[in-house]
Amino acid sequence: MKPILPVFLFAAAACAAATSPPCCAETAAPKKDECCEAMASAPFSKNSVYQADAAFTTDTGAPFKLGALRGRPVILAMFFAACGYACPLTVTDMQAIRAQLPAEVRDRASFVLVSFNVARDTTAALAAYRAQRRLDSAWTLLRGSEDSVRELAALLGVKYKQEADGAFAHSNLITILNPQGEVVHRWPGLKGGIDEAAAAVVAAK
Amino acid sequence: MTASPPRTFRALALCLLVAGSAVRGALSPADTPERPSAPREILIPAGAYVPLQRSAKDAPQIPVVAFLLAAEPVTNAEFLAFVTAHPAWRRSRVSALFADSYYLAHWTDDLTPGPQAPADSPVVRVSWFAARAYARSIGQRLPTTAEWELAASAGYTRTDGKNDPDLQRDLYAWLARPVPAILPTVATTRPNLYGARGLHGLVWEWVDDFNTAMVTGESRADSGLDRDLFCGAGAIGAKEMTDYAAFMRQALRSSLQANNTTTSLGFRCARDLAP
Repeated sequence: MKPILPVFLFAAAACAAATSPPCCAETAAPKKDECCEAMASAPFSKNSVYQADAAFTTDTGAPFKLGALRGRPVILAMFFAACGYACPLTVTDMQAIRAQLPAEVRDRASFVLVSFNVARDTTAALAAYRAQRRLDSAWTLLRGSEDSVRELAALLGVKYKQEADGAFAHSNLITILNPQGEVVHRWPGLKGGIDEAAAAVVAAK
Repeated sequence: MTASPPRTFRALALCLLVAGSAVRGALSPADTPERPSAPREILIPAGAYVPLQRSAKDAPQIPVVAFLLAAEPVTNAEFLAFVTAHPAWRRSRVSALFADSYYLAHWTDDLTPGPQAPADSPVVRVSWFAARAYARSIGQRLPTTAEWELAASAGYTRTDGKNDPDLQRDLYAWLARPVPAILPTVATTRPNLYGARGLHGLVWEWVDDFNTAMVTGESRADSGLDRDLFCGAGAIGAKEMTDYAAFMRQALRSSLQANNTTTSLGFRCARDLAP
């Protein structure tokens, strides 16, 4: 039965057209906090993932809504800290994407990891993961309620299931959002695709 | 079947799924058609759900605590009240992210279900997001797969529906019939032992954790899948007819995205028992 998974999960990876962001596009590397004030008050676009009201918490314990990422390109994946196989590779893929970005895009891009493991990935566990993987301030590590995690997974088309041994079976999906929070590119990781992803980030900036 | 190559199996599963979405009808009208005026809840006693498939690491049963389940799926009239109160969920306004372009497509307009959607028939062409938003609006939630399957495992007169010949007859008659253009009312189905109507024989229903249905072991390694316990094997081998409908549900769930809608997919609400 295995082959059905890629067919259904990944075949329908429709990508919204990347539109030019109303701010941030022209000037090289505007300061993160001043670039997007004008956008911050406007309603989210109709295809923006940021319309979801899912609430998360960062690895420092701060409350976090995905809408806070508005205004910059986002490279996002779902993971769990104890994952021994796919997640470390996904993070490595994301780092590889980052290394390929031109400096002015790289400085504004956000790298986001959201945990499936509602029970075990506490803020402390996420902080430890950050330290272990040496993830700098461009990375946002999030945890949330079961409800929020399920909603985000549904939005992204990520399927996941906790197994009896506590590990999670899950889609390995890396998603790229444009500054409006619209999905502009997504692909199952672990199989190359770094160049295309980096290009999508640059196009989405 | 356990030794069959995956490729064959996939083709077969796809056929089943396609056939399944094309041939949905209603059970024959049953005895007592009175419908309560207000949404009614029933108690589903604690039990265990036996997953259709599991990896070798997984427990054979998932315990389910007692919970409250709506006796009937949400109707067009009820959903109309919801979209009236929550304009963001009207057909013309909903984001494609949350509902595809067929969302409520059989309604006459935003606030008129119309002749294709009788007031007391289950609402269909609703997405998971919309179903969830509805449930939240009344302080409830969608049932989990385990909860739904536990409730649906009962027959008309006994807890083990798979051994209830009347239920089996009605269920397979329904599976073989095409989807009617206009769905019958909830009252046309016979309540099961717990008093739930329409779990079988009316529409498919969303569950909250539909996106756990992967129809495989996992993405990191699939060697853990215990093929002897795999649902499809039983269904295809037709060792037991009851596996077939459950397999159809599993296949449907695994094929859905959260913004999808279909002509035969509705939902009902659930909630925890007060502590």
